Amino acid sequence: MRTLLAIVAFTICWPWALTANAQELPQVHLNAEGLAPRPIEQLTGSSIVRYYALAWQAMGQALESNLSNGVGDAFTGFAKERLVRRVAEQAQAGLHVRIVDHGHQVKALFYSTDGTAMQLTDRAELEIQTFDGNKLISTDNSAHTYMILMTPGADRWYVRDLEEVPAARP
Amino acid sequence: MAHRHRNFHRSLNRVAQLAAMLWVVMGMAMADDLHVPASVEAGQAFSIPTEGSGQATFYVIGPDHVIKRGVNLGSEIQIQAADVTAAGMYQVLVCSQACSSARFEVKAAQPAKLSFFLHPSRVPVSTPDSIDATTLVFDRYWNLVLAPAAVDFHITPATGAGTSRKLESHNGIAWMRMDSTAHEGPVQVTAALGSAQEPRVIQQVAAEACGLRMKAVPSGKSVVLETDPVRDCSGNPLPDGTVVSFTKVDEAGKSTVDTPIKKGVARTQFDLKGPAHISVACGVVLGNEVAVNGKL
Repeated sequence: MRTLLAIVAFTICWPWALTANAQELPQVHLNAEGLAPRPIEQLTGSSIVRYYALAWQAMGQALESNLSNGVGDAFTGFAKERLVRRVAEQAQAGLHVRIVDHGHQVKALFYSTDGTAMQLTDRAELEIQTFDGNKLISTDNSAHTYMILMTPGADRWYVRDLEEVPAARP
Repeated sequence: MAHRHRNFHRSLNRVAQLAAMLWVVMGMAMADDLHVPASVEAGQAFSIPTEGSGQATFYVIGPDHVIKRGVNLGSEIQIQAADVTAAGMYQVLVCSQACSSARFEVKAAQPAKLSFFLHPSRVPVSTPDSIDATTLVFDRYWNLVLAPAAVDFHITPATGAGTSRKLESHNGIAWMRMDSTAHEGPVQVTAALGSAQEPRVIQQVAAEACGLRMKAVPSGKSVVLETDPVRDCSGNPLPDGTVVSFTKVDEAGKSTVDTPIKKGVARTQFDLKGPAHISVACGVVLGNEVAVNGKL
């Protein structure tokens, strides 16, 4: 019954409000209206939502545990290199970061004709707590805006670039 | 007794939570005291003035870099160029009794590198909007340059004059569609921005056959069929290996032979039983029909 309800909900919501696995993954809603130069296919939209949510889950786990083992399943290229370096330096400094993820409003901006790159922007509601050892030194509960570049791999979409930008952009 | 114990622990937890919140709120209240630039360019050193006196712990938390070190309040904290090479938002914290916090943006530096995709690798001649060129603009640290930048696309066909088109990138991406030209052969497309140049080559191939014709030469009880040189409407010869289909209908029934073009022409032979009609086709293009031992 739950599965049936989930399928119905997914069908109703597609394509303008896709939701990733609500139990464990962060909520990701994708808006692909007016996407150019190529429209998004339903399967691609589902994959983007799923793997973007997985990327945030992996990043959250890495920043909290200071272990970057799972980062390669979701990030590639410079995004992966940067996150791995951040986690290593954070661990070295004795810091860790906990992200309480309240969800992502993602808009697709560009999808190349050959399907090799998709640019997105994300307005994420996050509570970011920074700890030095066990001491909470900062907490930030606000909206954050990101520019994202995702590229397909053999069986999934990877985050290739993830950059936080001031809220006004784009 | 146990109930009292639980209440005591709850109260203790509540006090600890309130103390933590108060401590963080105090830190936020002091945030105004920390003056950081709203934005800096990637790879540019700068300094952050501090107020007060005594020792404090200074933190910078960026997309790929974390700094933690002791500082003397009242002095300027130097941020090295190498500390801010990744574009994004950075958080600065100065903690003594409480923490002051501020955020600043590191913007990509000037455009310096291009990533260029040209699609597809082979394209039929004279086809509108058949070639897609997509360029991503990066700075020297491989940050996507989100500010608009002018990208030049130079298109150089194997024969004929080249053309250029200038496009402004939007959020780091410039893309265009263009028509393939009338002549087969390689076409070089170069994306250029300042000293950064990325050339790519695609192969333009002949389009569908045009004016397909064959001739039939009877030879006893068989007929030899041969096409004229198979070309597209722009006069480009179709590549060897392109399949041409000959279909014969006679008293024996219908028979089709698929044969590849060799040296520009396709050739085959049919045995005949009575008068026959023979047609030729290449892809979706139909050629002429001939009648053998009968009327056309």
